[in-house]
Amino acid sequence: MRKPGEVELVHCTKYFSETAAVDHINLKIPAGTYCCLLGPSGCGKTTILRMIAGHETPTSGEVKIDGENVVGLPPVRRRTAMMFQDYALFPHLSCLDNVAFSLKISGVAKAERRERARRVLARVQMAQFADRVPAQLSGGQKQRIALARALITNPRVLLLDEPLSALDEYLRLQMRSELRRMQRDLGITFIHVTHTQPEAIALADLVVVMDQGRIEQAASAQDVYTKPLTAYVARFMGGQNVLAGRVSGITNGVVVLDVPERGRIELPASDPMPSIGSTAYVSVRRDRIHLTKQGASETVNAVTGKVRTIEYQGTWVKVTLEGATNEDFVVNLPDTEFFADPVNPGHTVQAYWKSLDVHPLVGGAGRSDRPYASGQN
Amino acid sequence: MRLAIPAKAVPYLAVAPLAIVLLFFFVIPMAMVLVASFFDYNMTGIIPTFTLTNYIDLLTSRTTLELYLETLKFALIVWAITLVLGFTIAYFLAFHVRNPLIAIGLLLLCTVPFWTSDIIRMISWIPLLGKYGVFNRALLELGVVDSPVQWLLFSDFAVVVAYVHLFTLFMIVPIFNSMARIDRSLIEAAIDAGAGRLRVLTEVVIPLSKTGIVLGSIFVITLVMGDFFIVKIMSGGRSASVVMAIFEDVNLLFYPPAAASAVLLLIIVTLIVSFILRVVDVRKELMG
Amino acid sequence: MRAPATDRRPWTFYVLAAVFTLFVLFLYGPMVCIYILSFQGPNGGLTFPLNGVSIDWFGALFHQQRTGDIAGAFSRSISLALIVLTVTVMFSLAAGLAFRRRFFGAGLIFYVAIASLIVPGLVLSVGIGLGFQMLGLAPRWYSSALGAHLSWTLPFGLLIMFAVFSRLSWSYEEAARDLGASTWQTLRYVVIPIVFPGIIGVALFGFTLSYDEFPRSWLTVGPYNTLPLEIWAMTTNITSPALYALGTVTTVISFVVIAAALSSIAVIQSHRTRRRVARERAIKTGS
Repeated sequence: MRKPGEVELVHCTKYFSETAAVDHINLKIPAGTYCCLLGPSGCGKTTILRMIAGHETPTSGEVKIDGENVVGLPPVRRRTAMMFQDYALFPHLSCLDNVAFSLKISGVAKAERRERARRVLARVQMAQFADRVPAQLSGGQKQRIALARALITNPRVLLLDEPLSALDEYLRLQMRSELRRMQRDLGITFIHVTHTQPEAIALADLVVVMDQGRIEQAASAQDVYTKPLTAYVARFMGGQNVLAGRVSGITNGVVVLDVPERGRIELPASDPMPSIGSTAYVSVRRDRIHLTKQGASETVNAVTGKVRTIEYQGTWVKVTLEGATNEDFVVNLPDTEFFADPVNPGHTVQAYWKSLDVHPLVGGAGRSDRPYASGQN
Repeated sequence: MRLAIPAKAVPYLAVAPLAIVLLFFFVIPMAMVLVASFFDYNMTGIIPTFTLTNYIDLLTSRTTLELYLETLKFALIVWAITLVLGFTIAYFLAFHVRNPLIAIGLLLLCTVPFWTSDIIRMISWIPLLGKYGVFNRALLELGVVDSPVQWLLFSDFAVVVAYVHLFTLFMIVPIFNSMARIDRSLIEAAIDAGAGRLRVLTEVVIPLSKTGIVLGSIFVITLVMGDFFIVKIMSGGRSASVVMAIFEDVNLLFYPPAAASAVLLLIIVTLIVSFILRVVDVRKELMG
Repeated sequence: MRAPATDRRPWTFYVLAAVFTLFVLFLYGPMVCIYILSFQGPNGGLTFPLNGVSIDWFGALFHQQRTGDIAGAFSRSISLALIVLTVTVMFSLAAGLAFRRRFFGAGLIFYVAIASLIVPGLVLSVGIGLGFQMLGLAPRWYSSALGAHLSWTLPFGLLIMFAVFSRLSWSYEEAARDLGASTWQTLRYVVIPIVFPGIIGVALFGFTLSYDEFPRSWLTVGPYNTLPLEIWAMTTNITSPALYALGTVTTVISFVVIAAALSSIAVIQSHRTRRRVARERAIKTGS
């Protein structure tokens, strides 16, 4: 029997007055996966979530759950449950009554619904808070109650709207692993909206990177991180330097790019082949780059520049090189490598890497050519 | 049993009861007043014709001007006093009382007298201000005066005291409400920038309490201008007000001139209110 | 100013606190005099000093036929106030809910409501009296006066509901919908319980505004007076401390009603807390 909880969006569009918040999205989320919708504010991820939940109606297109188009159905009939960003716990009810609320609505008798609510509370380790009111709980505790309240309805898809944003760092990491564990235990589909890249790649089987209402890339976490499709995804996910240049030649299976002020880049040719003279985008992983202080010995796959800032991050050190262009060139060195021969701001260094580590961004620039101000590595 | 009400119709249905009541018991009566102001009258009753005599009489009569000056005089004095007093009290409650629950409690303390009828509260001043009242006895006893002070009661002073006593709350509540909404971090930012308490007051608190001040002012001014019994009793019949004149006309069943006077009053009050709203908005533009 | 570096209060605090205290004395002082004077001795006058202490004047209230029908006026005022309370709560709540979304005519109704607040009460009662007269209807406390009072309490109720609903987050209703509640169920189980304090506020306003209302009752009550009108009749010829006694009695009544309302809320709240505490204790002891 097919596992329940497969979600599919077909040509899904949502207009708010003149702007398309969601622009002809096609996406298939297999049943039982943990899917993260990732993107900056305004990219449409929350709108998609709410359309799956039934709190927004698409302007056109279909939302299918297990093959059935659910557009027009109220949330409760879709067997989805949503966890709201501010938890939305009813302030006048105890935690127990909050969790039992959906049962009360469907007419379950008091004793039975309280008993069932207690069991669900025990599952999220909140049994002893049954009689407290939400105002007496901390953020992490409120979240568990909200989770319990959603899960008691036995949904096939659980929708989470930035569930970890309001928590502090320590709690966030803790709740993250709990969510993962819970999804594995329950076996249902989780769709989780976030703007934090590390969170998405830690949790998700399927990462959907979005921008301005369109999907830039939908793939496994590893693929999105190591093989970004577009410059936008590469920049957003962090961990990559993006270079754009003119294809000056293709010889012996090697593509040569001319990047202004960065020199020549060579990478193994692969399909699709770029045409000579066209602009191509590539990315180089920041942790695959090495530094040397000894002059400009490399002519290819190397960048020379002055060190602007050094940031110590424990197991690695982030070295940012100046350049005349807007974009920084960043090198993430393992700490042992850095401290073997440390550099300081103001030093001129050369960063170099192997051509195998140059990844072609076949999707080009991506929908928006905004340089993403990354706070990530 | 499920009523199939289309979702779009719900707001209209929900607001309908209130709207209908206001229609029948405000809009239509006001229209009646307007219509009646154009009627004629004689000793036996109202004559439903169209005439402007009521307005002409009203606008050319010297009494009208005097009444309005008298009423406006009270309105301005009371407005000024309640503004300063109300602002001070609201400021105290909002900023100097540390515990918000205690602040609400103290505010409730101020509203409790409100639960007694205006008339009772007004006459409660008589044993205090009269010739043989508490104040005069105290003053005599302390030797501050030789004979009872006459102007404490049945005078302009008494009228103003009564107005302030009854209406300051209408200033306190909206201003307190506005102040409570001021983001405390704005004040801290001002202090960080070097502002002393006075500067913080003038640069941060007052501009952000504008809505409350406007609301309170509108309440107080319209209440004073609409009063007819406080001024009569507390001035001992010496002062009159616009609405008092309307009241007396109505007592004599002279509806048309009363109606005309009412229409004129409404026009003037509307002008004052729009003026207040205009002034505040202009300031907003200047301050950016 | 709110969180000073030290815990010492600035000198302005003491000045302002003094002003506040004086203001409270100013508010309560006269009323206290009235209460004391209602116990005036049988031969005492309208002002101090007290010429003996008695409750004669309270008795005079109920016996004096000259001053009119106190008991009747009182019962009419209470009944009217209770009707006004109920209607105001229902209509204001419904209208407040309606105003959460945009609808055609919202602005107009809002301005009409504000205008109704500002118009002098006497002018309105003239209008209603005139209107009823022209239609050939007789004004009565339960029809024309009721409408006149409502034209004053409904805008107040609406404003309070605005303030309350503007702070109500939409996510509660969405969560309820998500969990399967229909619109009515959401209203009943989520919205109304959360805005309950606001509703109590509207109820209190509705009651006291009507109970104490004078100008708007003037031409609209018809032949039988409400209490404020009776008081007015006594005021125009203040001859005895019976008036003060009446003042004390009416004040006590409003206090009793409001205290009853507030304590019933407190009882419900403590009941909830007591049950919660009992449950928690039961869980802890494992019973």
